[in-house]
Amino acid sequence: MVPKFKPSPLRIRSFCTKTVQQNPHHWPIKQITKTNFNESLSEIKNHISSSDFIAVSLQNTGSFSSPWHRVSTFDTPETAYLKAKFAAERFQILQFAICPFKLQASKVIAYPYNFHLFPRDELKMGMPSYSFTCQTSYLTAMAKEGFDFNTCIYDGISYLSEAQESTVKVRMGNPMAVDHATKSSSSPALSVADTVFIERVRSRVKHWKNACTDSDIKTEAALVTSLRKIVLGGEQFGSRPSMTIDVCSERQVQLVLKMLEDFSDVLVPLIIPAKGGGTQAVRAVLTSSDEDKHLLKRELQTFEFEQNKRVRGFREVIDLISASQKPIVAHNSLNDFTFIHSKFLAPLPPNMNEFICSLRLAFPQVIDVNYLLKDIGPVKKMTNISATIAYLKNRFFAPIEMEIPNQANENEGKIHGHNVVKICQLFGKLCSILKITPDAIESSDDFLASAINRYANIFYSLPGSSQEPTNEEIRGWTNDKRKVSCEDVVFLWGFRERISAGILKNMLQGSHEVFAEAFNVRMVDRSCAIVVFGKPGLSNTFKNVMNSKEVSGPLREMVSDGLKAAGYETYQRVCSSGLWESALADALDKALASHNCLSEAAYETKQSEIYLSNELINLAEL
Amino acid sequence: MKKRWPITILYRAFSSSTTSTTASFPLKHVKKSNFDSALSSLRHHVQAADFVAIDLEMTGITSAPWRDSFEFDRFDVRYLKVKDSAEKFAVIQFGVSPFRWDPLKQSFITHPHNFFIFQRQELPLDGAAYEFLCQTTSMDFLAKYQFDFNACIHEGVSYLSREQEDKALKHVNSTYEDESLDSWHSLKEIRDTHLFNIPDILFAERMKDRLSEWLGGLLRNRDGGSEVQPSFNDSKQQFETIFFKMRPAISLNGFTSHQLLLIQLVVRKHFKDLAYLRVSGENSCSQNVIVYIESESDKKMLMKEVKDEQKIDAEMSIKASIGFRHVIDLLSSEKKLIVGHNCFLDIAHIYSKFFGPLPLTAEEFISSVNKYFPHIIDTKILLNSNSILQQRMKKSSTSLSKAFSVLCPQIALGSKSTHLALQPSVKVEVEVDDIRSSNWNSGVKHEAGYDAFMTGCVFAQACSHLGIDFKQQSSSENLAHNEKLREHVNLLYLSWTNGEIINLSTGNRTSESLASNKRKNHYPKILFECIVIVWGFPSHLKAWDIRECISKVYGPTSVISVYHVDETAVFVQFSRAEMVSKFLDLKGSLDRNNDPISVLHPLAKLLEGGNTCAASYETYKEICSSTVSKVLFADQAKAVGIKWKTKLVESSDKTKEHESLRKVKAVNSDPSCGERTKNKNFDDHPCSFNGSRRTNTNLPIELLSEIFEELTDCENISHRAAVCMSFMASCHQNFLPSTFISSSISFLHCSHNHHQNLALSSNVQTHKHHQMFLPQLKESRCASTSYDGWLLTLPFDRKQNLYLSNPFARDRIKLGTAQALRVVTSISPLDPKCVVLDIHK
Repeated sequence: MVPKFKPSPLRIRSFCTKTVQQNPHHWPIKQITKTNFNESLSEIKNHISSSDFIAVSLQNTGSFSSPWHRVSTFDTPETAYLKAKFAAERFQILQFAICPFKLQASKVIAYPYNFHLFPRDELKMGMPSYSFTCQTSYLTAMAKEGFDFNTCIYDGISYLSEAQESTVKVRMGNPMAVDHATKSSSSPALSVADTVFIERVRSRVKHWKNACTDSDIKTEAALVTSLRKIVLGGEQFGSRPSMTIDVCSERQVQLVLKMLEDFSDVLVPLIIPAKGGGTQAVRAVLTSSDEDKHLLKRELQTFEFEQNKRVRGFREVIDLISASQKPIVAHNSLNDFTFIHSKFLAPLPPNMNEFICSLRLAFPQVIDVNYLLKDIGPVKKMTNISATIAYLKNRFFAPIEMEIPNQANENEGKIHGHNVVKICQLFGKLCSILKITPDAIESSDDFLASAINRYANIFYSLPGSSQEPTNEEIRGWTNDKRKVSCEDVVFLWGFRERISAGILKNMLQGSHEVFAEAFNVRMVDRSCAIVVFGKPGLSNTFKNVMNSKEVSGPLREMVSDGLKAAGYETYQRVCSSGLWESALADALDKALASHNCLSEAAYETKQSEIYLSNELINLAEL
Repeated sequence: MKKRWPITILYRAFSSSTTSTTASFPLKHVKKSNFDSALSSLRHHVQAADFVAIDLEMTGITSAPWRDSFEFDRFDVRYLKVKDSAEKFAVIQFGVSPFRWDPLKQSFITHPHNFFIFQRQELPLDGAAYEFLCQTTSMDFLAKYQFDFNACIHEGVSYLSREQEDKALKHVNSTYEDESLDSWHSLKEIRDTHLFNIPDILFAERMKDRLSEWLGGLLRNRDGGSEVQPSFNDSKQQFETIFFKMRPAISLNGFTSHQLLLIQLVVRKHFKDLAYLRVSGENSCSQNVIVYIESESDKKMLMKEVKDEQKIDAEMSIKASIGFRHVIDLLSSEKKLIVGHNCFLDIAHIYSKFFGPLPLTAEEFISSVNKYFPHIIDTKILLNSNSILQQRMKKSSTSLSKAFSVLCPQIALGSKSTHLALQPSVKVEVEVDDIRSSNWNSGVKHEAGYDAFMTGCVFAQACSHLGIDFKQQSSSENLAHNEKLREHVNLLYLSWTNGEIINLSTGNRTSESLASNKRKNHYPKILFECIVIVWGFPSHLKAWDIRECISKVYGPTSVISVYHVDETAVFVQFSRAEMVSKFLDLKGSLDRNNDPISVLHPLAKLLEGGNTCAASYETYKEICSSTVSKVLFADQAKAVGIKWKTKLVESSDKTKEHESLRKVKAVNSDPSCGERTKNKNFDDHPCSFNGSRRTNTNLPIELLSEIFEELTDCENISHRAAVCMSFMASCHQNFLPSTFISSSISFLHCSHNHHQNLALSSNVQTHKHHQMFLPQLKESRCASTSYDGWLLTLPFDRKQNLYLSNPFARDRIKLGTAQALRVVTSISPLDPKCVVLDIHK
């Protein structure tokens, strides 16, 4: 696509710096820490529910430790996910910016918030995280932007993931009110043992209830009362008398609950969870009247609510977003949502499909602006949002007016989280360019839905590589518009360090007949290169040659010097078994070593090969 | 699991947290901006010092709960744990406090320095990014003491370790020397690329014109022509004529990288006497220049000139980024006595951050440390190992702040309390930026600089108690060589938890031997060859359950202790080393055979879920040595790549064990023929027995009958029957044929009284008896079955139903009106596949 208008390079620059750089520093983005979190919640809730979209943007303590850990063009969605997973499990989110926004004509009305997070172990249970990794370059970069680490660590909001919350609830052993879902399971036929059990419990409960309600008690001496208490096994629950019924199985829980229904006029059953999961006991609380019963239920609800709020912390916001079911706009969605899933939902599942399924339950629609960008044309891969906005500005006429009705920030400190507003802006622009027009949004929700659905939930369309194609090697790839099957890719390592792809290609060219056909070489990191064969089948020939005794000529020389080769499945194994060595060559060596010593592995390869043949990696997208 | 605070600095500070004041203690804070001046003054202070006290603050201590220090750590494992900690966490504050005796003032002068350090990636080194781990509890703790993270990250002093410096220098050398001129990275040749689009071609043409114009002008100029450069005015900013290395050149400004690439291409293609260079100019930003060269040899000369200059620049920048390591180099080269408090981890941090990667073994580490720091004293050991000092300490805790307040009350309280002057005390004065003070508010901030100061004061006071007279001490003499200190020098706690001390100069390890030691020894001496590590077992099993489970197989005395590493793993310490291999063999065979017999085995409870793994102590060490750190031990083992479930140990009596194992199996798989020779009546007894119990004496039946006559209580009989096979057989023959049957698996015996609905269960392993109320026993007798915990209730009235009931689960299963005497179930009666075999006469 040839742009219609190309201003001089100099003009582009000055132009974009004026419009994009200037504004952001006046954007009133509300900064939220522990101190003002609770008071802001309801406001955020309102904004979320009245918005069309919610943009999110994260500031993490790191992304990838070694060059090859970064998601790159030779990654399949699966390996890309595994790389993102590795990062999400190690690094920490320090800032989480959300921005509920509305699109109205060419106007974006945004309510940006920037939350400062810190994983404080408030419950002394080693949660939400025991430790996390920081990359010095990230911290230094944040410091340059004036990030206040003291605010973050002293005053950051803590959180627990959904999975952690449920373990915490069990460990705290707080009584839970019985909801009807647990109650209404079908009652199986009663065995004699069940009947005996029920009758025994029933008589106990009856005695206790009668004793409690008996007005004569009041005349008894204190000693007698306490004795009676001991004998009957009664306890106090708040101000009300209660009784604990021990149970040994979930079945017995059901039986007890069913039995207690007979007393439902005054007794409220509560379930006390056991430390190791399951149920420890059922507690029956005696209420004096129907009114009192409702009061108790309300009390329980507020108690639970307060506790949840304390435990969940920032996740309250995630829950609000999730509950709103609004489409979420992100810039680097695979990266952001692996973080979100691992910190706020549950530990990341082992593969991409499970991840997407699990994520979709919480966030049904995730839109990656990078994917929208792809529809516009052969846009250069950009991770920098400002650059992308500038790029669009030069090529399309799509003015977007940003309106941020937030009150001026009361915080004295620096304002962070501009990215999230930029994402809103970019999204607004893209929508207007792609004719997902705001009018359409207003006129018909269906249209919007279908338009958005086209773009939603594509996590891996453009790998998050920000490498500028300045190197010659990569340029060669940029021109390559083909999609390459993983089968045609071979990883090469064991050559001397600091070799360039060009030199390596020259060395290979004369070394064996497979290299007579067209092939491409690219460095993955300093220790390892990938070779892509133009003609299918050659990669296997090459791998076979490398492993056979017949290897001869210059190639033999190279192999004697330590050259090794492995197919794409070895690389997949590296990612899936978590061999995140700092040099890819070491990781591949390890994967080969562990592969050789495992006998059952032969089966595995076969499977992955089948899987591989359907897998295409898109090398053109750079 | 008991709560352990992993952080040594933590308890040091907790005790000192009571007196938190805002008044500042004179402390020299050193950041990036004042580092150079501070270093030069520190140099003088250290040179003059008698000893230097140090202290470090880190971002964490343990990367996972199971990496914590345990009693069960062998010294090599302990070292691996320290190594892991030092490698993963960052040092963010470093306190250095040189102490000098001032003979005029009769007091010590100290200059406490508090360095904020933060390693930045200042050099373009290859590969992995610098990263470090933060333990959330440690960060939170530091925050509690108002640690200034901003000062650390924004203004901390960076550093390079010796190893990093060497690597960087080597890298520079290889880039600037080894390779030919052309492939030098900043002059990277570009291949001929076709110009694809019209704008590029037009731009290239324009550049070509301009360059030839410039060149023409230049040549004319040289030939004595006039100053004619008219068309260059409009783009003066972009094309600036300068002199580069005495040669005329154009400096290119304001071009995009793509445009620069095109210019480079044009120069290469069309101008033989121009050279395109990218050089790093001032302010570290790179500058692109086109230089006029006279000839090919001139070009080479130019290249060499540029290259040499860049090499020097690169080396300079490496030297400049050594940063805080200068302080460590200073401490090392001055060979002063270094004083720390419980400082093994501190030393490990210093080694890994400023020298190089930590060696693989503790021995190598110790010898290298000794090379760098020949004299180290640990005040914690000093206080614990000397009886005079112990007396002084009045047996209080030897945490730093406690020691400080007990030994140096006059300093701790800021010389305010005069009544304490009774005891001989060493005076200490603080000097910061040439301002001396002997009176200050007790600034108990939890800062490395202040901690180092406290450590030094404690040491000085301890020396005085030991009888070292600083007045007599000549300044030239090294304090480390003092007779009274000699026995304490270079001793470090390898692990405070189990009191193991290592001597840095000899490498010897000793256990803390003082009888007056306050620490209680909870555990008997640990023999590591007797230890098995078990992980991945069902999460509801606690140490006690596991002990019970294993005791069922090997007897009550077989297991000395079971210790939780974390919630997913335990150490099982056996009484004898050979039991380790026996246990692992047995577990291995149970893993392989998943038949009902294995399910009935006592160990089945431990193996439930199929993820239980076991191995010897060596495997634990191997797992500790991994660089991975998962929070749970079971996950860690998986991440390390352990795919087996049991790692057997080679042992001499392995074959023997296999034999006995087979025997056990024979009994298990066919109980009816197991002991046929002994007693015929026993044939129909379905109970299975396991091997270990048969070691009990088997008395002749005649003798047993005699004993029986003396016994009247059926409870007693049942207990004895549980002990001895022949006793049981005899018991069956002579007495109570069906009133009790003991299950060897559950060890549950029930006697009954049909009026009371009571049952008695006894556990022969623990010798505990439990009475329980069993409503199910109403109007019936009780017998046990082969499956754990299930009882058979036999009605007195033969027309009534038989039940299998579980007294614990209060569960009951109807079996019908059979006249069974005993019942064998294949698996748990709750399993739908359970087959019940009832035997009746």
